[in-house]
Amino acid sequence: MSALRETAKVSAFMRRDLRIMLSYRMAAAGELAGMAGQAIAFSFVARLIDPSRLPIYGGTHANYLEFVVIGIAMNMVVIMMLHQLATAIRNEQLAGTLESLLVTPTRLATIQTGSAAFQLLFIPLRMGLFVGILGIVFGLDYHVSGLLPSIAILLGFIPFLWGLGLLSAGAILTFKRGNGLLMTGGTVLGLASGALFPLTLFPAWVRTISQANPLAISISGIREALIGGAAWTSVGTDMLELVPLAIVALALGAIVFRWALRRERRLGTLGLY
Amino acid sequence: MQWEDQAAVSVRGVVRRFGKKTALGGVDLEVRPGEIHALLGPNGAGKTTLTRIICGLVDPEVGTVHRSGTVGLVPSGDRTLYLRISGRENLIFFGRLNGLRTRAAKRRADDLLDAVGLAEAAKIPVGRYSHGMQKRLSVARALLTNPSLLLVDEATHDLDPAGAVQVRRLVEELAERGTAVLWTTQRVEEIRGFAHNVSFLLGGTVCFVGTVAELIARAPSQRYAVSIRNGNPAHAPDAARLQLALGIAASISAGPDGPGHFLLEPAPSHAFGSAIVRLAEAGFVVTACRQETAEIESAFLALTAEVAA
Repeated sequence: MSALRETAKVSAFMRRDLRIMLSYRMAAAGELAGMAGQAIAFSFVARLIDPSRLPIYGGTHANYLEFVVIGIAMNMVVIMMLHQLATAIRNEQLAGTLESLLVTPTRLATIQTGSAAFQLLFIPLRMGLFVGILGIVFGLDYHVSGLLPSIAILLGFIPFLWGLGLLSAGAILTFKRGNGLLMTGGTVLGLASGALFPLTLFPAWVRTISQANPLAISISGIREALIGGAAWTSVGTDMLELVPLAIVALALGAIVFRWALRRERRLGTLGLY
Repeated sequence: MQWEDQAAVSVRGVVRRFGKKTALGGVDLEVRPGEIHALLGPNGAGKTTLTRIICGLVDPEVGTVHRSGTVGLVPSGDRTLYLRISGRENLIFFGRLNGLRTRAAKRRADDLLDAVGLAEAAKIPVGRYSHGMQKRLSVARALLTNPSLLLVDEATHDLDPAGAVQVRRLVEELAERGTAVLWTTQRVEEIRGFAHNVSFLLGGTVCFVGTVAELIARAPSQRYAVSIRNGNPAHAPDAARLQLALGIAASISAGPDGPGHFLLEPAPSHAFGSAIVRLAEAGFVVTACRQETAEIESAFLALTAEVAA
């Protein structure tokens, strides 16, 4: 009953964040314009790159723009979601609203989840829109049948990201600043994921590590689905790799976050920044 | 036991340290339903720590806090609300976090906005509210759960006199309906005619508990800054000649503002007016006077000095 009540509160956070987002209409438009600019730049880079150097999906070589747009979108999902998850509590601290939230009978875990929930839904939606619009504008040859399998892979990837977010949130609660940690994490994940260029360009040991990189697994799976038209055939394999990694990340993240929270309460510094 | 006899909050022997600093060193406090209890003290006295312990934001190391019902908090900061969304949306959000369903939260938000006089500004983003309006909204938020205890932390420190009066009036109405109020403040003069009881916190310990009248009784006699001239501009009055004229009615000394300015302190058995009359009879003219410190402020300073000694 109590868990249900806590879950219901998440929708209150989503309503709040929707209203706040609507009050920043220009910022969202600017963000999308920035990403579109990035895609236009890559469309010129694509002209320089020989498709035969790119991996084969569904028996054919993709062109570079088809390849990189998925990578950019996934990278943005990682950076934005990780940031949102890690800084949800911190943002409330900085805004001065954390203590007002803590006075209500709401668990901090619910506050953390609730503060990130809207963006967790909205960011993938925005990225999907980004890929779709670029696909139409540049005539990218994506398979529509790969859309649902891609969403499934993304859903398998998000819990891993959530675990990582909790881990960072715990670090930020403890050390008050964690942007460096977030940037490093995001960069390492992104570099060894083949988001912007094929993993075959890396040394063998990086390729080996990247086989256990959930972002690399997800990007590869989504490319197989959207570019290669693999539909559901490889989703099962991807999930088998993603789920254990997500469980480990979530468990570790939850332990660190709880420890950090208990420490802050003990020290009486939860509201400080 | 009658409800009037039960304390809305009872704090017993609370100790809290932050590192080597003792923020609270064994504090006792009790606030009863319908009572406005002022928590007075200088910066760093431990007022905010005590407030945070009472509302559960910080755990005490030693001691107990017993609350008889829900607690509403009006925090001291001016950015404790979401500034980008409307006052109504803020109340709906916090209402839902307090366990209300959406429809009930909307109803409660509308009722409270009406109660604090913000119904017309309900749909305006809070960032466009004045400080006074934000504070009233903060009071409304604290009332979402019909709290039996309202903690008000430095509510009026950044308000103009009209805004401060509005907030105090709102709180008085709540107290009249039975809500216990713990009013933390440094604006000592505002507790006169407002708070029923006062606890004076200094260095983490309560050094005075009593009524406002009892607190005022701790104040030293009043001092006035006076400007005095006599009939002959060539001979400005000096303190010795003035003291001679005053006799036992008051004591007088040179003031900090230079020749012609003095500090006059009436004797406990004499009124300020009688001192002025004696000066006039001796040919001196008082051209200006102002009370140097207010009574409660004097008590505040006297208590602070007593404990420091």
